[in-house]
Amino acid sequence: MSGDPPRVFPVDEFVREELYPGYKQAFGSQPFVAGPVRPFSLADNERYWLRDSLHFSEGMVPASVATLDDAQTWGAQLGAEIVGVPPTLGSVNRLAGTHVYIGTIDVDTQWQVQARAARFGQYVSPVLADFESYWAARAGELQSAYDHFDNLDLAAMSLPEVWTVLKDAYAFHRRAWFIHFEVMYVLTANYLAFYALAEEIGLSGSQVSAFLSGQETFYSRTDEELWRLAGLARSLGLEPALLSGSTADMRARIAARPHGATWLASFDQFLSVYGQRVEETCRIDIPSWTEDPSPALYSIGAFLSKPAGFDFHAARAAAVAERDAQVDAARRSLNGGDLVRFNEALASNLAANFAWWNEEHNYLIDRRAAIPVRRATLELGARLASSGEIADPADLFFAFKPELFGAMSGGGSASWAELRAMVPDRRAYFDYWRERGPSLPPMLGTIPEVVPDPIMIEVFGLSGRFLETMRGDTPAGASAAAGDGLVATVTEIRGFPAAKGVVEGVARVITTVADLHLMEPGEILVCGGTTTEWTPAFGIITACVCDTGGSLTHAAIVSREYGIPCVVGTAIATQVVKTGDRVRVDGRAGTVQVLAR
Amino acid sequence: MTVMDLRDIRARDAGLVGPKMARLGQLAADGWRVPDGYAVTADALDGWLPPAARGELARLFTAPAPGHGELTRLASRARELIESQPLPPAVADAVASAHARLVSRAGRGAGLRVAVRSSAVSEDGQAASFAGQYETYLGVSGADDVLRHVRRCWASGFSAHALTYRQRFGGTSPVRAADLAVGVLELVDARSAGVAFTLDPVSGDRGVCVVEGNWGFGESVVSGQVTPDHWTVDRASWRVRSARTGAKRTWSALSPDTGLVALSELPGNLAGRPCLEEEEVRYICERAAAIESAAGGVPQDVEWAVARDLPFPDSVFFLQHRPETTWTAGDSPAPPGKTAEPAFDPVRYALRNVFKVPGT
Repeated sequence: MSGDPPRVFPVDEFVREELYPGYKQAFGSQPFVAGPVRPFSLADNERYWLRDSLHFSEGMVPASVATLDDAQTWGAQLGAEIVGVPPTLGSVNRLAGTHVYIGTIDVDTQWQVQARAARFGQYVSPVLADFESYWAARAGELQSAYDHFDNLDLAAMSLPEVWTVLKDAYAFHRRAWFIHFEVMYVLTANYLAFYALAEEIGLSGSQVSAFLSGQETFYSRTDEELWRLAGLARSLGLEPALLSGSTADMRARIAARPHGATWLASFDQFLSVYGQRVEETCRIDIPSWTEDPSPALYSIGAFLSKPAGFDFHAARAAAVAERDAQVDAARRSLNGGDLVRFNEALASNLAANFAWWNEEHNYLIDRRAAIPVRRATLELGARLASSGEIADPADLFFAFKPELFGAMSGGGSASWAELRAMVPDRRAYFDYWRERGPSLPPMLGTIPEVVPDPIMIEVFGLSGRFLETMRGDTPAGASAAAGDGLVATVTEIRGFPAAKGVVEGVARVITTVADLHLMEPGEILVCGGTTTEWTPAFGIITACVCDTGGSLTHAAIVSREYGIPCVVGTAIATQVVKTGDRVRVDGRAGTVQVLAR
Repeated sequence: MTVMDLRDIRARDAGLVGPKMARLGQLAADGWRVPDGYAVTADALDGWLPPAARGELARLFTAPAPGHGELTRLASRARELIESQPLPPAVADAVASAHARLVSRAGRGAGLRVAVRSSAVSEDGQAASFAGQYETYLGVSGADDVLRHVRRCWASGFSAHALTYRQRFGGTSPVRAADLAVGVLELVDARSAGVAFTLDPVSGDRGVCVVEGNWGFGESVVSGQVTPDHWTVDRASWRVRSARTGAKRTWSALSPDTGLVALSELPGNLAGRPCLEEEEVRYICERAAAIESAAGGVPQDVEWAVARDLPFPDSVFFLQHRPETTWTAGDSPAPPGKTAEPAFDPVRYALRNVFKVPGT
């Protein structure tokens, strides 16, 4: 198909002068390395844009546009600049309505590539020589910031003090995201170097993430704790209270039962260690587990509802044995210098392990960094609501950061009145786009023949097959592109074989983590992609199928650890498969067949 | 025996001076053109550290398997400790007189530059995992500086890298360094240098020889820091089958600051030019094949250097040779010890294979 013009998914319908009502382009941060968060413009048709439903499934409220700006835009660009990543200036973001698309900016002159390559070596070599100390220093910096923010008694502070805390919280948020990408680019380089070596010596680069799997992370410890709490609930006879009714009044129902208080004490102890997390990145409009433990309670229920029970330790041990078997098999296929290089690359990657960090860092950055901003915003909102400047504390989520900062720094009552008037429209705008989210195209702009950036391939799943399907060059892709009528005729789709095994069962299509509680034990999960918040579902599902993803994505890693088949990077599974369809997932062949609709 | 002149060293002396120096001595005895020099035997260095320093060293490593940050600190303290200990007077005197003999044989004055090379006695053999963990210093001059670098060679067994390697791959106590001899060789003033293989190291094809080289000293090639010029030569006809000029951006040259050989930017007028004439390529291959025959037909890799200001073929020196391990080691877990650098450099792989930066 190389002679044909690449397929374009026009961005035109998303091109708007204003994003939310009242949005101004000047709200994007300036100056910037390569460009701030913006709505789409027609020039964006020239490049590819991938919907990032992996990190941001429901859309961004106005205040979260600033935290997004800090994170995947500013943090990524500054990280790429400091580390000196030769081919890319980092990622850039566009918003379609409220939904996040990600693109990359190539470095396109040879001089800059060479200059960055020289810097890259100087930066990365010493870091990889002692990654443990390097990461410990940064993790320590983040932890001491949390110790500061978490212990502030905001309710006892004056309004100017709360305002100062909010400014500090934003400054910290930006710093946390710079650390995120600084570390990520270093680890990515180490990982991809191993990947390249594997290809060079006759292994498959996609195997590398399996070699590096099975390490304990903060998240695996969280899951193990949730599993332990499920076991405790069972032994105390509390299963009925955890398996029925909504999570909203679950605490009360548990407390009312014999031994309920014992279990709740253990649960609260768990929350005090593991509760400082929210379900999505950069979202300041959603509560942490400490504020609303529904996700944790759901997870415990999921462990309890698995028909045969779930042996956490046995699954982990099996995953580790499988990893070791793969490493041994790789070693047996090598000798001489190849074996030496393999062993050194493995040692380097076990010491500075991207697959491990990719999970571990979420607790310190992705799922936590915005919590101080949220707390200070809500406290400030409460003061402003009580003095009548705004109607509801949560209305501040619907102010863009420059608007809030302008009003706080002397904008006065006129700016509050203006904001107050816009909030209802902005809430409606958010709701409208949240509904539209699942139907947005997975990619916009010009779909390329190949994406050279391996991280876009292995994490975001932009493999050759994915792009081919997106361009409509495969039969299934062509039917999907033609719309609903033909999608219903597709009976087989292909993706990356991420975890082996063959399973037949009933599919459930889930488009946002908020709907995860709909998942029934024994069903097959079909989704856009998964993140750490989806992990509990892996204890009850029998297979996993994703639109996006490669060997390094969350679904691939977790499926291997839970021992279930998984196919990722299918591009169109959520369009082709409907909830209730009977499907067959072959995790070794990378195929998904629809057996009955 | 404390110090042996190269002319007295034979293959059988591997247990005293390490296989690397033993093979070189044998080459010299067989009439090959190799740099002159001498070796400090492993026996002479065995237990040279004063008991107090040994005790201190043992104390540093009493804790089990420290983390990497801690290991780096321990390694740097261990190296400082070792480098600051004087060698026993008998060793120092023997080195001084061997060095004086070398200077007088070379006839280039007392400023004669030498290479001080670690030569592990177990290297390339059973405990080969230590090979390549020790360092080599090029451009040293004067007996006092030689003595200092002998201590640095010994201390290099305690680099964080070497310690980590032992911790991960094979575990003897970090305090027990492998038996180490040190070779001191006249530094060939190399115009060009590199490696020759008596088979294709990638395909295993024994019908060809492969030569890789760069301008300057051979370290840039041996350590893999440059994409070298590459020739494939047919062993039946000695015709050059393919010649590829590498995108060479750096070379190993004497640094005016330290007097030692270091990696620096290659002058622009040399970057695009092949570092050998075709007759030099053919000659190196023929001689490498002869070394292979003398080694019982086992494929070899051979380090060579072409001296500046000497007429061909007197200009071509052979610095060391060893069995080519990729195609002969079977599934031995031992690394070939081909370079003083780690075999896998993530930065190099990332730049060259992943980011595809030209010239890396």
